[in-house]
Amino acid sequence: MRRQLAKWMIAVLPVLAAGLAVLPAPGFAASPLTIEYWHINSPTFGGPALKELVTRFEAKHPDIKVIEKFQPGVYTGLMQQLQVALAAKRPPAVAQIGYNLLAYAAGQFPHVTLDKYRQSDPAFFKGIPDNIMVLGQFGGVQHGIPFGVSTPVMYYNADLFKAAGLNPDQPPQTWDEVQRMGQAIKQKTGKFAIYLQQPNDDWMEQTLVWGSGGRPLSEDGKRVGWDAPQATEAFQMWQDMANKTKLAANMTWEEGIQAFLSGHVAMCITTIGRQEHMRKNANNFQVRTAPVPRFGTKPLATATGGNALLIFANDPAQEKAAWEWIKYLLSPEGATIWTKGTGYLPPRAETATDPKYLKPFFDENPLMQAALATFPYAKPWVSFPGPRGLEVTKIFIKAREEILEGKRPAEAILRDTAQQANALLPK
Amino acid sequence: MDRSLTAAPGYVEAAPAPLSLAEVARARRRRRVLITGYLYLLPAAILTGIFVYWPLVASGILSFYEWNLVSPAWVSVGWQNYLELFWSRAFWLAVINTGKAAGALTLFTVLIPLVLAVLVLRASPRLQTICRVVLFSPAVISMAIACAIWLWMYHPLYGVLNSTLRLVGIEGPRWLSSGDWAIWGIINVTVWKTLGFNFVVFLAGLLAIPREMQEAARVDGASEWRVFRHVTWPILAPTTLFVFLTTFILAPQNLFVPTQILTHGGPNEASNNLGYLVYQLGFEYFRAGYASAAAMVIFLIFLGLTFLQFTLAERRVHYGG
Repeated sequence: MRRQLAKWMIAVLPVLAAGLAVLPAPGFAASPLTIEYWHINSPTFGGPALKELVTRFEAKHPDIKVIEKFQPGVYTGLMQQLQVALAAKRPPAVAQIGYNLLAYAAGQFPHVTLDKYRQSDPAFFKGIPDNIMVLGQFGGVQHGIPFGVSTPVMYYNADLFKAAGLNPDQPPQTWDEVQRMGQAIKQKTGKFAIYLQQPNDDWMEQTLVWGSGGRPLSEDGKRVGWDAPQATEAFQMWQDMANKTKLAANMTWEEGIQAFLSGHVAMCITTIGRQEHMRKNANNFQVRTAPVPRFGTKPLATATGGNALLIFANDPAQEKAAWEWIKYLLSPEGATIWTKGTGYLPPRAETATDPKYLKPFFDENPLMQAALATFPYAKPWVSFPGPRGLEVTKIFIKAREEILEGKRPAEAILRDTAQQANALLPK
Repeated sequence: MDRSLTAAPGYVEAAPAPLSLAEVARARRRRRVLITGYLYLLPAAILTGIFVYWPLVASGILSFYEWNLVSPAWVSVGWQNYLELFWSRAFWLAVINTGKAAGALTLFTVLIPLVLAVLVLRASPRLQTICRVVLFSPAVISMAIACAIWLWMYHPLYGVLNSTLRLVGIEGPRWLSSGDWAIWGIINVTVWKTLGFNFVVFLAGLLAIPREMQEAARVDGASEWRVFRHVTWPILAPTTLFVFLTTFILAPQNLFVPTQILTHGGPNEASNNLGYLVYQLGFEYFRAGYASAAAMVIFLIFLGLTFLQFTLAERRVHYGG
């Protein structure tokens, strides 16, 4: 028995000693300040670009070390992990918060608000357009800095347009044109005219509300706006296209994208973030992009996807380092690496047209042009306020699903669900 | 019931006469054995206590509070979470869908594997091996990958299911985005995934039945059906009970991954189920108290059902051999 114990000790001791050896020796060299950065950039979505950003930043700031931590499950998954870290009082210094979750995070999580940096760092704020800066605001306060900016665009199959006798250089600009050209496509090719993305979020739905001239949420934040007459018309149109005229395919997101890529659907509205995927996987046809169709003469308006960077650091040294990191990520150099690696638009508009930075990239990627054209019309992807805000989003998603089932007219569904949602918003 | 456990206290009580030295020593030895036994149990007991029973108690307490997982304040709300649950459409849809799933899974992953196992045993050894491999292979594929495969098989336009149906002139449904079909799409994946495992369990149960019993019945002139009914089926009963119970208890849990990957409980809650509902309330809406209330209700429902099954089934199951 004793001999066995001794054997165990012999086995365990070197491991312990090795463990002690790798611990930093106190008081020798000033070790760099370490900050954690939480993100959703998987190896196939911006991961390598992020690693490059960290390396370059650390070379410029030897006193700061950035530990980037990928969080699975996209923005909701990151929020779940963040809840745990905050509860344990060990939050990351900076985290990406999806715009659709911003109000929830701003209202429920302890974090650093950023308006104070407007005075101390005015140069940083210059060059980021107001309609983009507002994406990081909630209740008039700057909670985060917009980092990922993506817009919905309409991808289309140029070959199907030709087969239907349409000119692929003139894609539809309004929903009326979509339906007119869609009829031609359906009759001549037997294919679906269009697919509007249907994932487990309300990005497309908010785009329709903004585009129809409405607002997803009233200015005072007390009422949802999806039951307004113009929004109702927009959703009725979608329901009719899915059920009456059968121009629109009604299927899950993955199915819809695949149907487009395999040539079964002529037009597909989804994020510009998918442009590389679309370009590489389009099966034997030329894929092109155009801005999302407009409602008659109403101006273009789309909900903006992506994320804002929020500071959760709970001590001043960490906060300072976190701000430096954010400033680097949004610098022309940082934004160039980021845009090339992800397809997100750079928050600083001028980076896109600067020959030193992103102009060559945009010239080489014609699919990006539609997103660039949409950029000035980007509206917030509204995150519903209050502790029940996330349920409001889900109610909107469920409303779309019921509308596309086609068993009740859009008006009744939108009215009922708006009533449910309004009851959950803070009074 | 293991008799040795009930016998131990009886021994101490039944010792009125003065104890001899030898008896004292024996009693001491017995006590030492008993303590050693409990010591061996201790690590498992501590772990189950921490990871199973304490969360259960904590969840029960949490179900009377409103808490978003971060805020330092737990707001006491009494029975409010339970009331809200009983009034919510999503909860009742989830109950109905879980019921459908449990029923369908019991039918398809208990009855069909049993029939298949009985049939396969009659086939040639070579065919048996092929059947075993083919039927068992879905069980070793991870559920997430299985879902990715089914996602393409279900594609309404050119998935293999609807393409095949189209060959015989039927326009197949939108398996995942139609309110009438989505839950069946989820159940189908779960059936496909669990069928093979249960099949192998039944096969093992059938192989363990002594041949001579069936032979004897046949010599006495019993038909194949009577051999099955009066010899095979009673001896197989413990296996059937095991398969039935595990299938029934695991059904709501097995639905979670396909729901998360294929439909997110949609369209409009049509494929929501109890396991997914708890996740949705807790980790999509971040309402830990409300989610705990739902979890407690589900726990009680399944506790009751399992208890019922055990008491009913125990009476009929013969653990022979």
